[in-house]
Amino acid sequence: MMKVLILGATGHVGNRLCKYLSQHKYQVIAASRGRLKTPIHDHIILDTLNFEAMRTALTQVDAVVNCVAGDKYSIGQGAEILANAAKAAGNPMIIHLSTMSVYGGNEGNVTENTPFDPSYGWYAAAKCEAESHMQTYADAGGRVISFRPGCVHGPGSHLWVSRPAQLLKSYRLGDLGDAGDGWSNLVHVDDVVRAIKIGLEISLQPGEHKKYNLAAPDSPRWNQYLFDIASSIGATPIKRISRLQLKLDSKLWSPAIKVCQIVSRKMGLKVSFLPEPLPPSLVKLFDQHIFLNSDEFSKAHLFSYTTYTDSLNDSIQWLKSQL
Amino acid sequence: MIKNIVEIPSGTMLDVDVCIVGAGAAGIATALSLSGRGLNILLLESGLEHFNQQTQNLYQGSLTDANLHSPPDKYRHRRFGGSTAIWGGRCMPFDPIDFEQRDHIPFSGWPIVYNDLHPYFVLANRFLEAGTYEYDADKVFGAEAKPLFKGFKSDRLFTNNMERFSCPTNVGLRYHRRLQDAKDIQLILGANVTGIRLDANATTVSHLNVASLEQHTFNVKAKKIVLATGGIEVARLLLASNDVCPSGISNKHDVVGRYYQCHIAGNLGKLTIFGNPNSVRHGYEVSPEGIYCRRRLALDAATQRKAKVGNLVARLHFPKIVDPSHKIGVLSGLFLAKNFISYEYGKRLKDGQATLSTYLHHFKNILFDPIDTYLFLYRWLTKRTLAQRKFPSVILNNKNNQFTLEIHSEQIPNPDSRITLITEKDTLGMPKVNIDWRYLPEDIQSVEKTLDVFVEEFQKSGVGVFEFNKAQLEEDLTRFGAYGGHHIGTARMGNDPTTSVVDQHCKVHDLDNLYIASSAVFPTSSQANPTLTIVALSLRLADHLAQTVGAKAQAQHLTI
Repeated sequence: MMKVLILGATGHVGNRLCKYLSQHKYQVIAASRGRLKTPIHDHIILDTLNFEAMRTALTQVDAVVNCVAGDKYSIGQGAEILANAAKAAGNPMIIHLSTMSVYGGNEGNVTENTPFDPSYGWYAAAKCEAESHMQTYADAGGRVISFRPGCVHGPGSHLWVSRPAQLLKSYRLGDLGDAGDGWSNLVHVDDVVRAIKIGLEISLQPGEHKKYNLAAPDSPRWNQYLFDIASSIGATPIKRISRLQLKLDSKLWSPAIKVCQIVSRKMGLKVSFLPEPLPPSLVKLFDQHIFLNSDEFSKAHLFSYTTYTDSLNDSIQWLKSQL
Repeated sequence: MIKNIVEIPSGTMLDVDVCIVGAGAAGIATALSLSGRGLNILLLESGLEHFNQQTQNLYQGSLTDANLHSPPDKYRHRRFGGSTAIWGGRCMPFDPIDFEQRDHIPFSGWPIVYNDLHPYFVLANRFLEAGTYEYDADKVFGAEAKPLFKGFKSDRLFTNNMERFSCPTNVGLRYHRRLQDAKDIQLILGANVTGIRLDANATTVSHLNVASLEQHTFNVKAKKIVLATGGIEVARLLLASNDVCPSGISNKHDVVGRYYQCHIAGNLGKLTIFGNPNSVRHGYEVSPEGIYCRRRLALDAATQRKAKVGNLVARLHFPKIVDPSHKIGVLSGLFLAKNFISYEYGKRLKDGQATLSTYLHHFKNILFDPIDTYLFLYRWLTKRTLAQRKFPSVILNNKNNQFTLEIHSEQIPNPDSRITLITEKDTLGMPKVNIDWRYLPEDIQSVEKTLDVFVEEFQKSGVGVFEFNKAQLEEDLTRFGAYGGHHIGTARMGNDPTTSVVDQHCKVHDLDNLYIASSAVFPTSSQANPTLTIVALSLRLADHLAQTVGAKAQAQHLTI
């Protein structure tokens, strides 16, 4: 039985991955930096920035899946420590969850060979750095698969399901016209999870680093996705939103909300009464004509994605269960 | 990518897979649909990104009767985006009956049926930002929603068909990014086609001549050429390219430029609905996708066949604006502002002779109706001027359940209604056009017979009374001449080359590589405004072209 350590096990992908792998005869050690609200079987608390702790944990497993999210240090330095600790622990295989953000502002048909663009923002920079540490690990004889998913939606996705739903309900998103013409590059969380399991089964040579984009090829443009969410939650008729409104919301109103959130948290208050901020990066993404080409993984491993309709239904069902 | 003609060296011969002439609704839809299929696409646009008077002047020409048709340089724009820069956004598909050969409509019948176009109507609707392709109000708003007239039932006259409104989307602005980013599309601005050159056998287009206003010229060779200009310009280009065929391209049987149709339209009659003003659904409804929709009156196909009439729709309207006796401040305001409204939208406000007393009465209406006028102006500002999706037209409060009907009717194809070339030339040396639009007595009779059914059905229903003055019908329907901006039929589609110019695939009969994407190919005019059907035909043509040149099929959600 293959023994797998999952870092970031309480996150959106990590959480579903733990359950899925456990059901499929993997021995899973779920690790996260904090305590859990709901207990997970075989859970450990692990500081991914602590080299010694990481090395100890890694010596016990055949593979590690890196689903860590967080600030730029947890992502960038975390990956460096992971690579070094893994090397010291006898080179277990690493499955690294990267992102399409590594391509930054690239547009058009983006394949795994498209150059990185770390200048696009702190997140892109951190994720590019993380992948470079993975490369270093491979160069030193390690085995790595980096998955670069698009927007991971489906059950449990705040970013791509409940957040847009809230913004649609308050008519701060809607029909964005040409500002919503970018591809959504959606991928169902369970597709990511299935891809990771396939990744664990690929036999790599020492020194190999495979990179795969993950996005459902039938993902619509953002306008369509936003309308589909709006209509399923009754946030209709949707409004035509101008570029000016998006700009004012993301650059003036949302930063104010963000400040209130931070202050409220510091004061120990709940932030759920505050409206959802609309970050400028999201507005930029809706307008970015990037088509994340996922052919390579689909072809190499006969992988078929959940259809857009089914993914949407899953997302909506989850959304409704949250209300 | 988007270029200006000066970036193409003068005298070059460009060699491409598909060359599309005209970047309006048809040309942009065709180009975007062809994109991503491994082809090299060239899109030529005469105009620039913004209106340019010198370019627009290329559209000037003459009229046989200035009372019957607007000047040739009105209602159409020669610029990137074409006339979608000024259109009203009204979308509706042609009905299945429009494609049928009907014995009571001479020269009717298309070589294709409605179902051939259906999948493309679905995409066209999205392309023009008119929402989901569904034109039955009962399905869009539910059968329980308030109908046009409470309690009205008829098995001949229906009120559940509706029109949808595009933003109105200027396709040049809306799809600028996609055209700019597409690596397989080269859009050249300032590029006028001045000649379609044939090989010696007159079976193939060998190349196109292209020129700028500054006499910068180049040529284009293409496997397939698509004329995606408007209905008047298609005829002009075919007729003017007469070096190999003296009568013009594909004009052996003297069909090009003939059968020119617009729509028969007018605001007439008096509809009185009994009871409370609440019993009438007057004005616009908003569909879930945020689209303004409006219900209309129309006969079903069986009744049209039985009554031997053409297709017609009627919308609820308000009294004649010019006559101040309506006492409605908003209408009087519109009347007084008519000189500040563009030609295209002001035309139907300029009705008859207004005396000083007319003006004074209109001023009085505004003074005595200040609240409605203020509310109207506020709504106009917020829902139209400042809005991206624009409130489509002036809608007044229904105070007394009295309406006129705004008629929009098909006209019978008439070979004597035509576009011809005149000797006068534009600055590029291209002959200008003359427009001789005509209607037939049968067109008026068709409207009359249809309205007779309206009268009967309102009487039967008991919800109201419709009356119209038969003696005045022709005047009411022709007061402003042909309905502006719908230029149809000048290169009609058909199987018989003696009465048509293009075949069912929009390919010119006599040539193997020239196609037309335009309302010019419509054999008949329907009740519908043409834009949605122009786009649907263009998208269908793109699929056909891709197949013929062996390009791959496109997953449709990828392009449109």
